[in-house]
Amino acid sequence: MLKQRNSEKEIELFIGPQHPASGHMRFIGRVDGDIFTNFIPDPGWVHRGIEKIAENRKWVQIIPLVERAAILDAANMNIGYVMALEKLLDIEPPPRAQYLRTLLCEINRITSHLYGFGIAGIMIGSSTFYMWPFADREPLIDIAQLITGARLTYSYMIPGGVRRDLPQGFREKVLKALKYIERRLNNDYFRIFFDNPVTKARYQGVGVLKRNDAIKLGIVGPNLRASNVKYDVRKVEPYAAYPELEFDVAYREEGDCYARLLVRVEEIRQSIKIIRQILDKLPQGPIIHKKYEKLISLKKLEECQKTGILGLPAIFTALRPPAGEVISRVEAARGELIFHIISTGELRPYRLRMVTPSFRNIVLFRELISGARVMDFPAIYGSIDYFPPESDR
Amino acid sequence: MEFVNLILSILLHPSIFIPLIFPGFITIFVVIILLIWAERKIAAKIQMRIGPLYVTRRFGGVLQLLADLLRYMFAEVITLKDSDKFIFIASPIIALTATLLPLAVIPAGSLLDIELIAFRTNISLLAALALSSLTPIFIIIMGWASNNKFALIGGLREGHLMISYEVPLYLSALSVAILYGSLDIVDVVNNQQRVWTVLINPFAAFSFFISMIMSTSRFPFEITESDSELVAGPYTEYSSILYGLVMGVPYMRLYVFTLLFVDLFLGGWHPSIDGFSSIALIIKVLIILLFSVFLRSVYPRYRLDQAIRIGWHTLFTLSLISITLSLLIIGWGGIGGY
Repeated sequence: MLKQRNSEKEIELFIGPQHPASGHMRFIGRVDGDIFTNFIPDPGWVHRGIEKIAENRKWVQIIPLVERAAILDAANMNIGYVMALEKLLDIEPPPRAQYLRTLLCEINRITSHLYGFGIAGIMIGSSTFYMWPFADREPLIDIAQLITGARLTYSYMIPGGVRRDLPQGFREKVLKALKYIERRLNNDYFRIFFDNPVTKARYQGVGVLKRNDAIKLGIVGPNLRASNVKYDVRKVEPYAAYPELEFDVAYREEGDCYARLLVRVEEIRQSIKIIRQILDKLPQGPIIHKKYEKLISLKKLEECQKTGILGLPAIFTALRPPAGEVISRVEAARGELIFHIISTGELRPYRLRMVTPSFRNIVLFRELISGARVMDFPAIYGSIDYFPPESDR
Repeated sequence: MEFVNLILSILLHPSIFIPLIFPGFITIFVVIILLIWAERKIAAKIQMRIGPLYVTRRFGGVLQLLADLLRYMFAEVITLKDSDKFIFIASPIIALTATLLPLAVIPAGSLLDIELIAFRTNISLLAALALSSLTPIFIIIMGWASNNKFALIGGLREGHLMISYEVPLYLSALSVAILYGSLDIVDVVNNQQRVWTVLINPFAAFSFFISMIMSTSRFPFEITESDSELVAGPYTEYSSILYGLVMGVPYMRLYVFTLLFVDLFLGGWHPSIDGFSSIALIIKVLIILLFSVFLRSVYPRYRLDQAIRIGWHTLFTLSLISITLSLLIIGWGGIGGY
């Protein structure tokens, strides 16, 4: 090892943490000519200790905390934690709340994928495909703002339901935004980027992840589905309103960078399909579990029926779930998200474990980039849609 | 009045006018300011942004680059402790000078009866190509002198690209020389009075244009300074006015090559207006320049090995075809006056 280190054939390249393409992390690569002989990801530069902080927070205070793992994917982080909490409390939110949760989750999935496209675009030098998806997130963020009042970190789901009901004239605005996204996705994005000969040259056959390797390494999310594994938590272990909605699991067989991007394109299409179904099927009824409805003051309930805004009832600060141990699984935009919570019946959790999809995908850097060319590094990085803050927590 | 006449006669003297005013320094400066502004504005228009705006707001931020240059001018020149300081500072300056050298032999029509060619020789095409090949060497030296791994890799990439674009570039220029039987660019232009070379030998024009794009690191061949893995390639460690210089080099190179491209393939200053034949030339140059920078908003960048493959497979073959075509046309009876 020492001899190899001193040999002049290879140079050691430290990429990051202050580098245009590294994100909040560092990579240590050994370069022989134009080939990375070894490539090691070195995460942890944005570690905020969410799990430890959670041990000192009250149960509802953890909701905004876990969202900070992936700001772009806040709703999916949120629903994962709230579902685990509801398992502890042994309550089931009313159907309307389930649908509203699913709606926000799918909006977040689209915005998260669009963000990933933008990063993938700029990493191989397409500044146009950097700006377009970033700008096209805007109509969806506006919709999320209509639902929740916030643009990115919603804290929308609370134990037993959601904070707000839909405003008036919501349906038309959503349909308009979906139509816009669909047009952009199916025409403009393909014309400028996905059908671009240079993009194809950079992506096709690059960073191939074989089916067996993907399963063996425990890869999750679109990266797994691009390697021909039809695994999606929304189908395997349906939650929220997913059992009542029709959608297909997007998958590809090639397993290369191009397949990983196209799986995301297909997922956006499926999300649009899901949102349209939600708008049609949305049941009437309360937005919070009746156990908590009873505890809210009458005045506030009347106000809620008028404006649709419930807010966070004060009783939740004293939430004290029974002792126990629960696990919840959800499909976040980047893959399977797991929450493992141990409660001792106190005001705070004893332990909260959060396994994020990016953390499980980080091994791909070593597997795919070792042996690849130096210029393949940004292409592969962009295609696996890795998000350092989500991984570091 | 006499004094003004004296100044004018000095300024309009060919040996001053050509290097300093047109097609020399001042034209280059204005063209680059407009070009970078246009590049950013076009990209902004396509990408649903506004682009540069705040400097000279009424004119859409056209002087943004001037403001940037002023800022560079007053910034501190940082040299690394372990870099080769003399070469580190000297190489951008020499590279800039070397980039402008070909202008000495590239004709730019005539303005008010002044022949705009600084140095008339019957091997001007050869001289222009030879002088243009100096710049990449200094870019490689920059990468080496910086004592930075990213700069080193970037410099090596420039070397790799150089060997793959120079051969097709020179071969396609050679095919034009074969076609008209002359290495003098003025002869080449004058032979295109009726029909442009691009119509006679499109392969040569295409191969020359792509090689030109590659040599000036425009998209999709912006590989040397590809910022997503090399930060800024050979220019990583440069700051202040030196950075301004090295960033100007590719644009100046693009301008010089475009001038050559228009002279060789697009009929130079034809169709000419009496006394102002340079106007047709500069319009064509601007169109080609705008097209070259427009590519940025359409294409991502190729991988290094793919660019080299394009150079040696496609462009090399095309330039060989263009030479064969020129030889066939010559054998068949030639073109025009020849």
